[in-house]
Amino acid sequence: MTRRVSVTGLLALVLRRLSRRPLRTGLTLGGIALAMFLYTMVDAMRAGVREATEAGPDDRTLVVYRENRWCPFTSRLPQWYLDRIEGIDGVVSATPMAIRVSNCRASLDVVTFRGVPVESFLANPPTGFTLLAGETTAFRGRGDAALVGEPLAARRGLRVGDRFEAAGISVVVAGIFASDEPQDRNAAYVPLAFLQESATRGSTGGEVTQFNVVVDSSDRLEAVAAEIDRLFEHEVHPTSTRPERAFVARAARDIVALVGFASLLGWAALGAVFGLVANAMVLAMQDRVRDHAVMRTLGFTGGVLTLLAAAEGLLLGLVGGALGASAAWMVLTVGRFSLTVEGANLELASDPAIALTGIGIAIAVGVVAGLVPGLQSARGEIVANLRTT
Amino acid sequence: MNGTTSTGEDNATPLIECRDLTREFRRGEQVIRPLDGLDLELAAGSFVALMGPSGSGKSTLLNLIAGIDRPTRGTLRIGGRDLGRLSGRDLADWRSRQIGYIFQLYNLVPVLTAYENVELPLLLHGLSRGERHRRVSEALARVGLVDRHRHFPRQLSGGQEQRVAIARAIVTDPAILLADEPTGDLDHDSAAAVMDLLTSLHRELGKTLVVVTHDPAVAERAQRTLHLEKGRLVAAAEITR
Repeated sequence: MTRRVSVTGLLALVLRRLSRRPLRTGLTLGGIALAMFLYTMVDAMRAGVREATEAGPDDRTLVVYRENRWCPFTSRLPQWYLDRIEGIDGVVSATPMAIRVSNCRASLDVVTFRGVPVESFLANPPTGFTLLAGETTAFRGRGDAALVGEPLAARRGLRVGDRFEAAGISVVVAGIFASDEPQDRNAAYVPLAFLQESATRGSTGGEVTQFNVVVDSSDRLEAVAAEIDRLFEHEVHPTSTRPERAFVARAARDIVALVGFASLLGWAALGAVFGLVANAMVLAMQDRVRDHAVMRTLGFTGGVLTLLAAAEGLLLGLVGGALGASAAWMVLTVGRFSLTVEGANLELASDPAIALTGIGIAIAVGVVAGLVPGLQSARGEIVANLRTT
Repeated sequence: MNGTTSTGEDNATPLIECRDLTREFRRGEQVIRPLDGLDLELAAGSFVALMGPSGSGKSTLLNLIAGIDRPTRGTLRIGGRDLGRLSGRDLADWRSRQIGYIFQLYNLVPVLTAYENVELPLLLHGLSRGERHRRVSEALARVGLVDRHRHFPRQLSGGQEQRVAIARAIVTDPAILLADEPTGDLDHDSAAAVMDLLTSLHRELGKTLVVVTHDPAVAERAQRTLHLEKGRLVAAAEITR
């Protein structure tokens, strides 16, 4: 025997069951949305850490820092190192960089100034550098001009021509740029000499915080780093050279560890979603033991009833997940959060894929949470279940 | 009396045929046998009342005929089909087409309106929305509740709820209507109205009607009254109308 069920009619039945228990449905959706908000935020942090610290096959940038120094305030290297670094076999370019930060500790709103030689910076800009507003002529034309990363500009509400001050340094926005690198996106590039002169902690001209060195092949990163450190090991200011992402991972190691811990919260949030949906579904099924027995008397099979329960879980997961993940995505997009520690930036990624993944997980959890009590409810003896009060 | 009992029209082929029908339950070491080797034939279009004390097997027999329970031993053939040989899925499909079941406590789904409760069994029949609407409206009209179709069960009286349940039972046009103490929870007037309705369904639509009842007034309306005790038939009375 075969039968054709009315799919639209059954879907309407699922919607009626949910919409006519508004308090229970609302509380369940609220719980799922909150949990998915938390999960998505934590996942955005994890994605930001991954992007900033995990090496890729195309990474060719080294950071030369002062040995045994951890903060831009204390890493001081002579600018004359530049000539010797550029002379090493395999080095394509080297950029001396003075860095000043408004806060050396971990913070969500740190302004990082990177002082660079203007012409060499414009000749060898960071990966994916695109000027979104302003002109490079303005950057060349005045000493206190700054090219500001787009997330930083958005966070601070900066536009071309605005003057802003941080860490005791006052600059004028000459341009706003986009970049593929999170370290660049959250920084303000200023002329090196200007930053050296503006330094308030005893720096003098001729000192920089670090050198960013681009090598000709990612295979040679370690060899060139070793060569740089060997070159300066007997100088007054010995260096410690690492691939850029390893450098960020070391600088932000405390934050990375915290984010790792926070990811446990993300999984806990996922567990909370499962618990919430499962609890709501179990309670709903307990309430419906007799209803389901009546429906089976009318000819509904256990399979159809189980599918109805799974569809309820799916809808709860879909709507709750979409609410929570979308809210998180909007907060991340509007807030443009960046965790900065010791001048290293970890962005909270606002990738829609993270929100979609969250929704997908909520749906899967909802379906599973609906299936189990649905199966239990559909399997009991009809006559016994009809006697249930 | 435990021989084969035929009811209804004498020459008709029996619609419902029980042979050595037995149902047992186990509770620990104890075996409870609410139905014990019953032989019975019911003709199509008959109206039969099942009476007897509590625990005599009336409801068990009704549940077996409805296909919501399975016999421990014996055979139950309805319309020539041996229910014991049907898979769970086929039995559910058979129920949806052949049986209209009316419960003592109505058993309407509380979050659905009267209309939606009556529409519920039609969702399994692959009908268009328009066809479902036509059938539900027709069923509600027959029970006199067209003006209550948007009401939820909590907004209806007991008698109205039972009439919605009857509309739900007849909306698929089943051959057999089974009612388990359909007036047991109703006042005198409502009970009489419900029995008038069931009797008219039997007479006008030719439905086979089997009613479990303790109420002699209900049994008086039936063509045949069967008395059960301890799972066996002890008496049968036929009333010619």
